[in-house]
Amino acid sequence: MPLIGAVQEPITSAPLVIFIYLVLILMIAGALAGILLRSTLYAIGAFSATLALVALLYLTIAPFLLFAVQLLVFTTVSAALLIGLLRETSGIQASTVGPFSREWIIGAAVAAALLALVGVVAAATSWPIRVGPQGIVCCPSYLPLVTDGYRVALATVIVLIGSAALGCGLLLASSRHVATRTPGRRG
Amino acid sequence: MSIGLNGFLLASAALLAVGAFATVARRSALTMLLGTQLMFAAGAIAFVAFGRFTVLSQTPAAAHENVAGVMALFVGAVALAELALGLAMAALLYRESRSFAVDADRG
Repeated sequence: MPLIGAVQEPITSAPLVIFIYLVLILMIAGALAGILLRSTLYAIGAFSATLALVALLYLTIAPFLLFAVQLLVFTTVSAALLIGLLRETSGIQASTVGPFSREWIIGAAVAAALLALVGVVAAATSWPIRVGPQGIVCCPSYLPLVTDGYRVALATVIVLIGSAALGCGLLLASSRHVATRTPGRRG
Repeated sequence: MSIGLNGFLLASAALLAVGAFATVARRSALTMLLGTQLMFAAGAIAFVAFGRFTVLSQTPAAAHENVAGVMALFVGAVALAELALGLAMAALLYRESRSFAVDADRG
């Protein structure tokens, strides 16, 4: 018995096909830029854009949950971790601009607009919370599938993420402890 | 004009190649980490494309698509965990030598 059966019909809608080709090309270009750019900050920006484009690709061919998780969790957490590393090591210092300056207000307005857009999309697509006869259901199509069919995998991923977080914390804490006791090699 | 499984698999392969190049040929630990992330993303795209464009024997198409999505979610979670650990190691490397370079003659 073959593992993979008939191949489903390809996507033929012209605007969608053009959009997908555009996303694919930009995704590869972003990935190349991410690894070739000398500036760490620009490389991180290009990498984050690549992950966001992957989310856009999911929007065209995958269930909406995958797009949302890719965009809201994987992309933002990856970018935050990378920016955190950059701030921890070589580059970005804390802002010298006050919390109520014009730049902060504009930034907050843009963030609020994006959050509102996510809210509208979530409300229009009933994701991740759907109100129905059974009450409020979270992730209706995926949650039963994940919790019932993939319990071991879910537990493994949770343990893995917990271990990674613990390992990161211990690594950084121990190195900080050593750094306060002994001067660096270069003085 | 159309795009099917082959187009997505080609893009996935290209992304995998870019990631492999970054991991093997670049000297910066940060770039190597980005390369591994790109390879994870390429694998997830292949999962999703197979879920969208193929039909498993005796399995409804919708269920098949959901399974592919779940696999992509797990791949993304593992990628994030790997990124967190790798970044901690990169931070240690930087504190040690004031550079992200991983080869012996980084000075």
